[in-house]
Amino acid sequence: MALDRRLDVLAVCGVGMGTSLMLKMTAEDALNSLGVDARVENTDIGSARGMSPDVVIGQGMHTSELEDLAPVVITVSDFLDKEGLVEQLRERLSEKGWLA
Amino acid sequence: MTVVGASDGVHAADWREAVRAAASVLVGVGAAGPGYPDACVRVVESSGPYIVMAKGLALVHARPEEGGLAVGVGVTRLAAPVDFGHPDNDPVDLLLTFCTPDADSHVAALSTLARQLLAGLADRLRAAPDQDALAAVLRGAVTGDRGRA
Repeated sequence: MALDRRLDVLAVCGVGMGTSLMLKMTAEDALNSLGVDARVENTDIGSARGMSPDVVIGQGMHTSELEDLAPVVITVSDFLDKEGLVEQLRERLSEKGWLA
Repeated sequence: MTVVGASDGVHAADWREAVRAAASVLVGVGAAGPGYPDACVRVVESSGPYIVMAKGLALVHARPEEGGLAVGVGVTRLAAPVDFGHPDNDPVDLLLTFCTPDADSHVAALSTLARQLLAGLADRLRAAPDQDALAAVLRGAVTGDRGRA
């Protein structure tokens, strides 16, 4: 079913201030280009464990510890590869029926 | 006001030396205290090489309480690249670094930096001929002033 609210996305990293902020910016760009209404936040992996977003994005060394945190968990190596993230988001959000 | 610094042709035997050298730029320009470089090394030791956020590019940083005195941004280009043990993005030749006095002051500068990186800033930095040009390109990117890049 289509999501009837804003998509809640979490970008994670170790400290939660720098690298995840970079990823947040890339994710916002990627979600924009897909026309998805989303709110993207960034945080550290410890704080992430207490949250319940729709989508988690981070490097494999972090997402492997957060596999049960969200319905969609996306692993990104190159935070500047916006097109790669767009493709992953397109595929995974489509599976959930979250893409218009 | 964001403080900007740069170092070029830095010789580092391993990632720890590279991280210390990058963070020392912020100490040198007065944006970070003397303990900041070692704190940046500890971030990687405890959380892994995730700071290698793109091919060849690391974002060196630690928490504000580790010695952030002002919002500072630096760039360091290595004489020879080093491995961080990252599964996809090694080896690293370019290190960006930042510090911030609190949890929020850096967000505007770093968001601008992120947009510039998405627009090819890393390539522009790699193409800079020397340390002064590195600093000028970075300063232009974080302040919105295009400078002489």
